[in-house]
Amino acid sequence: MMLIVGTVPIKDLPLTIGKASAEGDYLVVNGHRIPCTQGTAAMITAALVTTEYLKLESPQVLVVGDTGQGKGSREMYEYLIQNVAKLSPEVLALHYCLPDMALSRRLCEAVKGCPKRPIMIADAASMYAAKAAGLATSFDIFTPDATEMAFLADPDATHPAYIAKHLFDTDVTQTPRLVAAAYQKKNAAKLLLVKGATDYVVRNGEILATISEPNVPALEPIGGTGDTITGLLSAFVYASMEPHEAAIVAARANRMAGKLAQATPATRVRQIIDQFPAVFKQYLCQWSEVCIKP
Amino acid sequence: MPFFRKKPSFEGGGLVLFMDVHDAMAAEKVLKAADYAVKLVAPPPELRRGCDLALEINLVEQPGIERLLKEKETGYVSVLPMKPGTSGLLEIVKITDFGDWIMVKAANMKLSFEKKSGIIVNTSGGGCPDIPYLHAEMIGKRLDEAPRPRDLGFTLCALMLDRALEESLTLWRGGSKV
Repeated sequence: MMLIVGTVPIKDLPLTIGKASAEGDYLVVNGHRIPCTQGTAAMITAALVTTEYLKLESPQVLVVGDTGQGKGSREMYEYLIQNVAKLSPEVLALHYCLPDMALSRRLCEAVKGCPKRPIMIADAASMYAAKAAGLATSFDIFTPDATEMAFLADPDATHPAYIAKHLFDTDVTQTPRLVAAAYQKKNAAKLLLVKGATDYVVRNGEILATISEPNVPALEPIGGTGDTITGLLSAFVYASMEPHEAAIVAARANRMAGKLAQATPATRVRQIIDQFPAVFKQYLCQWSEVCIKP
Repeated sequence: MPFFRKKPSFEGGGLVLFMDVHDAMAAEKVLKAADYAVKLVAPPPELRRGCDLALEINLVEQPGIERLLKEKETGYVSVLPMKPGTSGLLEIVKITDFGDWIMVKAANMKLSFEKKSGIIVNTSGGGCPDIPYLHAEMIGKRLDEAPRPRDLGFTLCALMLDRALEESLTLWRGGSKV
């Protein structure tokens, strides 16, 4: 089972666990309808579209309403700490939340109680908390964007708002330097997919691949396009791809979906997600060993 | 053998500094009443500004905490990261011209607007729970009519989105010349 965990911007949504399904532009979990917009919802929807295409079990999701005050995030962490060993997911993907170092630490301890250690993926504030608490090496995959890569490279920052100016000021050609700094300080997961004008796939400090085509600069302003990459990657890992291969295919698929959607800065993330089945149909077999017969 | 539930630990990463002990105690009361996790601590000598009592907070919640302390007229000197060597809050922004649109980036947050109308077409980046909420509240609104992330948000991500909005307003009012 793949378990995706994160907050959604619906104030009164109680802590909810269940299988995700889609209904038009909404995600449905235990009867709760969640709009597919930036954040955890975009990530889940991308993962769901991928598992549906690959004819795999739909993602199990743990979501809660939180609009910034952190109550939902804390409930979510506590539930997961108490239940992760029992749930024992094969892939555990952590996403939007109020980052909390102590709870993140307790969660990593609780994961040790799983019969089989899950593949641990973190993006968004779950990644911030893991790095800030010195837990990065407990994770298998992080998916930072360029600024978040600078955050991982800054040994002192506990949030990207506090990174050193000279690290924020770097361009994409400096990514290898930031990657090296992050690994040196043990602030990186085993595998990084660094999302940017050029995407970098890095394993234990070694850059395995870069992806820069198709070049769709308009993807960066669209809220949720980083989340969709993490959703794709999580689903491909769940489909038993090697993590680095899953990262490469996820980065390519997101770019190609942006191209097919003729993305502009005004495009919505749902329009990008809608292109994934066509991208998979045309390219997945070519890019990987995953070939689905119609 | 008696069973004791372990008291949840707290690692906040931020400090609120005060001029006197009375303010520190009052702030603790105000913040706890609003469900913030806080802890009274002695600030390290190199960070000490006023009294020898400070409040440890989750640094990510700095904007919401500062707003609440101001609303409740609770005096404080400043909010700082606890880790020595941490840089100050990022002040610089980056601007990208997309033809009909401009994207302004402040730290991990990006806001894009249409040059002609000033309508916010997207916000992206970040990872805190107020960001998807602000995304929904701001998109489709004109820059000068959109809600301010500093008023609706609670986290450092929201503060950076507010910086991006501030810069976007300046660019748009100046004719979006970049």
